[in-house]
Amino acid sequence: MSAGSWKERLGDAVPETLAQEIDVFEEQIARKKSGRMDEKLFAETRLRRGAYGQRYDNGLRNDGRGQRRLAFPSDATKGVDTVFDAPGMQRIKNPYGLVTADQMEVMAECAEEYADRILHVTTRQDIQLHFVHVEDTPDMHRRLASGGSTTREACGNSVRNITACVYAGVCSSQSFDVTPYAEAAKEFLLGHPDVQDFGRKFKIAFSGCHDEPCGLVTFHDLGAVAKVREVDGAWKRGFELVVGGGLGAVPVEAKVLTEFCPEEELLPLTQAVCRVFARLGEKQSRARARIKFLVQKTGIEEFRRLVAEERALLRPDPRWTAYLENLSGQDVAGVRPAGPLPEDVSPDFARWAATNLRPQAQEGYFAATVTCPLGDFTADQARGFAALMRRYTGDKSCRLAVDQNVVFRWLSGADAPAFYARLQELGVADHGAGTLLEPTSCPGTDTCKLGIASSRGLTGELRRRLRVLDDAIDPDVKKLRIKASGCFNSCSQHHVADLGFMGVARNVGGRKVPHFNVVLGGQWTQNAGSYGQVVGAVPSKNVPDAVKVITDAYLAEREDEESFQAFVRRVGKGHVKKLLRPLMKPPSYEESPDHYRDWRDPREFGIGDLGVGECAGEVVPWVEYGLQTAEQELDAAQAHDEAGRFADASRAAFGSMITAARALLEHLEVQVRKDPEDVVEKFRTHLHETKLFHDPFAKGKFATYLLAMRASGRFEADAAELAHRNLDEANLFLEAAHAAYARLTAAAIAAGKRPSEVAARDLGSPEAPAPSPAE
Amino acid sequence: MTTFTNPLETTMTTTSLDRAERVQLKLFATPGAPDAPALIPVFHEWISDGSLETDELLIDVADYSHVKAGPGVLLIGHGADWSYDLEEERPGLLFSRKRAFAGDFRARLEDALRQALRAAGVLALDPRLPGLAFDARELLVRVPDRLHAPNDDASFAALVPHIVGAVRAVLGEDVGVRVSRVAKERSDVATGPLAARVVLEGAPAIARAQA
Repeated sequence: MSAGSWKERLGDAVPETLAQEIDVFEEQIARKKSGRMDEKLFAETRLRRGAYGQRYDNGLRNDGRGQRRLAFPSDATKGVDTVFDAPGMQRIKNPYGLVTADQMEVMAECAEEYADRILHVTTRQDIQLHFVHVEDTPDMHRRLASGGSTTREACGNSVRNITACVYAGVCSSQSFDVTPYAEAAKEFLLGHPDVQDFGRKFKIAFSGCHDEPCGLVTFHDLGAVAKVREVDGAWKRGFELVVGGGLGAVPVEAKVLTEFCPEEELLPLTQAVCRVFARLGEKQSRARARIKFLVQKTGIEEFRRLVAEERALLRPDPRWTAYLENLSGQDVAGVRPAGPLPEDVSPDFARWAATNLRPQAQEGYFAATVTCPLGDFTADQARGFAALMRRYTGDKSCRLAVDQNVVFRWLSGADAPAFYARLQELGVADHGAGTLLEPTSCPGTDTCKLGIASSRGLTGELRRRLRVLDDAIDPDVKKLRIKASGCFNSCSQHHVADLGFMGVARNVGGRKVPHFNVVLGGQWTQNAGSYGQVVGAVPSKNVPDAVKVITDAYLAEREDEESFQAFVRRVGKGHVKKLLRPLMKPPSYEESPDHYRDWRDPREFGIGDLGVGECAGEVVPWVEYGLQTAEQELDAAQAHDEAGRFADASRAAFGSMITAARALLEHLEVQVRKDPEDVVEKFRTHLHETKLFHDPFAKGKFATYLLAMRASGRFEADAAELAHRNLDEANLFLEAAHAAYARLTAAAIAAGKRPSEVAARDLGSPEAPAPSPAE
Repeated sequence: MTTFTNPLETTMTTTSLDRAERVQLKLFATPGAPDAPALIPVFHEWISDGSLETDELLIDVADYSHVKAGPGVLLIGHGADWSYDLEEERPGLLFSRKRAFAGDFRARLEDALRQALRAAGVLALDPRLPGLAFDARELLVRVPDRLHAPNDDASFAALVPHIVGAVRAVLGEDVGVRVSRVAKERSDVATGPLAARVVLEGAPAIARAQA
């Protein structure tokens, strides 16, 4: 009836190299389970197979009343502080978002046999399956490999999924189709020896043009923008290469490495960049190990020189150019005859088509976006997608989008109504792709170990409310984009949203309250051309009201055809913050306990097993006044920045950090003077070196912002770029100060000690030095 | 559609079904059931209070209520999940055995039915879920294990006596059981996992079965 194992069943269907690697991984899992493999080595091995940790995999869970140990059947681990039996996440790479019909069906089978029947589209065109047991992963990898998918290097310190515009090849504004170049880069770099010794992950993105957002190259480690240039009377293909971009805690825009890299130089130059990163990138401190820090450290001129030097040393590799001989051979075309959209269509179809159909460069064909709420679709729907591909658009027509949707290219206009009717049957026919109605979210506290607030809970609620309003929403508001991240790692890409939200926690009267920092005016166009401005934190439960206040103000106060970005820039953060101020303070617990819980989660937020703090009630501890003062100083810094007074902005930002640090020191009963020198030294001694200020995952990262700003003298910087950096770092430092205060308070209560008696060991089990899940 | 009305005449087929660890069983809610998010606080409470009275390790709650005809709200466990499932746009209580069960397939199926009935009974009595009741006349059984239980005639034939035996062991020997294979929805869509629809005659109501 059946073979005894998937290995036997699939046999030669799994490519030999992959089959061997998966066999080795299976053996390593067995060795780890029996304690015969090093913890860190196995963790990195596992990550490089795309098998990631998930929330509560340290074996502890807060059930709203206390932290409870989960009694897994075995004490075995699969990484530092990571329980072997705990459910995890499996990431599946889909280079440039391509998913064939066969791959879609295999992923569907894996979702329903090894996970929870849901396929989740990520903001980097991957698919993630959640609640997977590590012992199921080798068979899953075999099945995926048999369908042409890989999980290899989907996580870990390596080249992650290579992304590209979903419209590559079918877009009117592209210079040329970047698909074969992205495919060549994927083939060349996967498992390449030069990309195995990074201190951190490395993300590459391709864009077919400069002005559209689809590629989002400016926040990637390496971005390639298609360009054509006339050389000796002939048009030559090439790329503008940018390097050192990134989101994360402090977003950095990539710098131009070269304005024109001829196509034959794309792979060797990429290889040279990787070799420089592997050789000179930070290896010890994860927080500073991305290539953006190396580029900042060397400066772009020196980095260019290093890359050129490395390029000159490379031995020629035929793979650099072999693929160029067959560029046209990779073209995909429609499988059905082109045709116009029918004129007589249903109102539902017309409404869907207005937002979800985009004409292709090829007349009579359209790219159809299927909206997947919060990036999720079921195994049944996946099988339906595969059938749609085979029937209407072709086996290689489907791409996953960075806004967490599924795009079917090469849909004949004549077929569009029937295609839509089938989407209705599948339950995925919602209109509103790319609008306010379809917010983007990272996994947040649902499954991510680093999530602070429930970004999916928030976006799910926003989606529900906005869809009820729908027709009542002004069209200029409806075209705005919302993105929410559960923490500062920015996996939703909230920095480039019109309305971005970043999860933080605040201590209010001895209780933690979930909040979201409001980040406004990010630019989605021009490949994510500029980043949004942090306005301030709003309690999670007030965010829907905040969205209304902001969008109402935009409609009421905009000038002529002013864009939302221009509106935010003109009125300034101070003005928006003033509008939001009534929403920024949560009601007391007694007035509204719901504010002390996250969306779709009945547990009291983050109080763990610590009960109600001594500070609960009307008595506000002195440290909270200090932190509030620091917030006000940061507001002033932002006002200076908006007025172009960059030196004042830098000084005020630094001052706010000093105020927050001093407040914490006094909370610990440390005698400290007001002068910054004394505050910084005492902060180093009593909060940084003791690790009391350390974030469980980012470790000392936020503390070093203060120390480095003081040591470098950057707090007097009068350049706009440095002032912005100072503001961003001050903002994160203040968030970290709030978090440290909450941890210290909780630990003091739990241990029955004064805050000054708390040691790092009292703050709970130190979390594993987990890699950021940011893709 | 293959229908077996006289299970006593069916015989066990030797297959690898016993090696299929995963089995799912769904009890359908009657009309008027609450929306899925109403289950979130209940499932959280089952984790924190142990009010389900199960030996299974309960870990977390996952909310997919935004997905049409999706898995709804799941109570994630180590060896098994419970969910307020929305597939076919028919809410119901789905018990899903994933691992960590020592017995053979029949035992797994019996356990799945008992676990589902117990959970359904607790839910039906929860005052936070007004209108939630379960239909004792219909079950869905699914075996999401294509290696040991491919969705073919032989696997279905092997599955039927297990279903009949499990149902009678749990609900009583005089319960009428009709089992039909869940038909493929459309010819152009790939086959899902092996699944059977079970119609019961004379089964005790959910609450009595729980007792």
